[in-house]
Amino acid sequence: MFRNFFKKSAFLMSAAVIVLMMVGCSATTRDISPDEAIHYDEGYDFSDKKAIVSDLVESLLNKPPLVSRLDDRPVLIIYGVANRTSEHIETDGITDDIRQEILQSGRARFVNKVQRDNIAKESAYQYGGNVSAETRLARARQVGAEYMVTGTLRSIKKKQPKQIRLKKKTLQYYSLTLELTDLQTGLIEWTDSAEIVREASKPFIGW
Amino acid sequence: MSDKMNSSQVVRKFKWLCLLVCLLSAVISGCASGKLNKARKDFYNGQLDQASGALSSPEDVSTRDQLLFYMEKGAILHHAGDYQGSIDLLLNAAALIKDQDVISASQQTASLVTSEWLTDYKGEYAERLLVHTYLMMNFLMLGNHESALIEAKQALEVYDTFPEACSADYFTRALIAHCYEALNEINGAYIEYKKLAEFMGDPAPVARKLCVLARRLGFDDEVEHFRQFIPESELKGSRDSSAGELIVFVSQGKSPVKIPHNIVLPPSIRFSFSTYESRGSYMPPPSVGPLSKSVVPDVVSTDVGEILKASLKERLAQIIVKETARVVAKEAIAHNINDDNLEVLVRIAFFLMEVPDTRCWETLPAYMRMIRVPLSPGENQIHLNAMGQTVAIPPIEVTPGKGPFYHYYSVRNGMGPLPPMGNPQPGN
Repeated sequence: MFRNFFKKSAFLMSAAVIVLMMVGCSATTRDISPDEAIHYDEGYDFSDKKAIVSDLVESLLNKPPLVSRLDDRPVLIIYGVANRTSEHIETDGITDDIRQEILQSGRARFVNKVQRDNIAKESAYQYGGNVSAETRLARARQVGAEYMVTGTLRSIKKKQPKQIRLKKKTLQYYSLTLELTDLQTGLIEWTDSAEIVREASKPFIGW
Repeated sequence: MSDKMNSSQVVRKFKWLCLLVCLLSAVISGCASGKLNKARKDFYNGQLDQASGALSSPEDVSTRDQLLFYMEKGAILHHAGDYQGSIDLLLNAAALIKDQDVISASQQTASLVTSEWLTDYKGEYAERLLVHTYLMMNFLMLGNHESALIEAKQALEVYDTFPEACSADYFTRALIAHCYEALNEINGAYIEYKKLAEFMGDPAPVARKLCVLARRLGFDDEVEHFRQFIPESELKGSRDSSAGELIVFVSQGKSPVKIPHNIVLPPSIRFSFSTYESRGSYMPPPSVGPLSKSVVPDVVSTDVGEILKASLKERLAQIIVKETARVVAKEAIAHNINDDNLEVLVRIAFFLMEVPDTRCWETLPAYMRMIRVPLSPGENQIHLNAMGQTVAIPPIEVTPGKGPFYHYYSVRNGMGPLPPMGNPQPGN
């Protein structure tokens, strides 16, 4: 009798484990809003990018020198954001977002630095003999930038010291500093930084 | 009649046990590790394309050996000159190491009554550091100083986590310092060169760098301190790094591999463990020539065997605890079997399953050396001579007044055709 009970229990337990495993292994997908902040770990992610870019662009547009240039839309050029963190982060995404937000505000214009080579190629093509003289672009009409936007993304990571515990905590600090430099004088006319500090914990033991 | 029944039952049980042992042995020894072994063999025969082809996808090896797949193929591609391919694989290795931080309860439980081979290979501490070392070299070879510095910072985390095991890896620390220097982060570079000088005990190989950086930082006392480690002939000579530097990463020999050991205690207790054993004798650093008398190249070396052995030593207490727990668990199971015949069979099975884990990164070199040679304006034709072999580095043309450039080159002795030179990168 005891043996039967044991056999039945073992069978039920095995069945339960199999069902649990099958449920756990089934693939799921769901759409989430890009504005929703989701963090799987302490690392930098898309939610951080949106937050720090918005803060800095707001500061840039509402402080001198741009706040006093409401009418003439100064021309800016954006150089890359230097990544000085300990993670491989695509900082081009940050510069793209900064440019987009500033352009959408209508307060400044940008020189297209990334497409310079293609612009030169197109210009050379138009003067290569295939394009009619009336429709050709005029040379030496490109606009020079007045200000240069540069930045640095930094991080500091701190791990909890070794001790007996079930979870390991990590503290991660990120700061993005942007600068606006007057290209004629070489003076930094504006600078600001946005910071993120996040604590995450990870279990030592998993299945 | 009952004797007959018993003997037939025992035979049946024996068959099942044999099957179980065979299956476990197949799992343990890893039928898929054949491709890893082939790749290693091809690599050491200088057939880098075949070595790379033997490991065409991660499915070629067991899921427990994924880390070995990424590390071995990453090293093979680096020495074949495919630096981007090597980066892709080694970044996967670094991500996997991070994921493996969590101890798997299921694998640990299974390994408690079988063998360590049933667990995922996590890499010795020094191997985890060397993943970042190769990544730094790859990024430098591609002229991507920013990504090299990111890897340098990750390597520093490994140094901080496993200081005892990794402190003798001078090559990696020299690379870290260079990554800071190449991006003009002179404060970070100075700190790392100074740490390197302390760990090596002899600051001479980095004294020049420390003097230059200390001067830029305004540390006059430090300049005077480190000047005493620079040879007199060089102080009087006209060594000038304004034309740039040639930085050669030299890999020599074969790293040690793990070999199995067993201690058997009657009736059926078997302790198994592995140790590192060298695969060659000492290799001196290559000589560099032709150079003027006032130019002495700076050489920073790592004895890879030393750091691998230190890593295994640091895990020793952990290994002993696990091994003892396994022996106790197996004994307890065997002891609680009421059938004498079955107990014998189970003991035999446990004895056979106790196989020491000898997995390790086998395509590593025995020595990694960073050689820095200041260049002169005009054509620089530099040779490396080691153990009767001469490596002619592709000629480097330095145009006066164009500012300093770093010229990177990575070479492994006796490893197929010479890889191409990295693109020159502006220095500072």
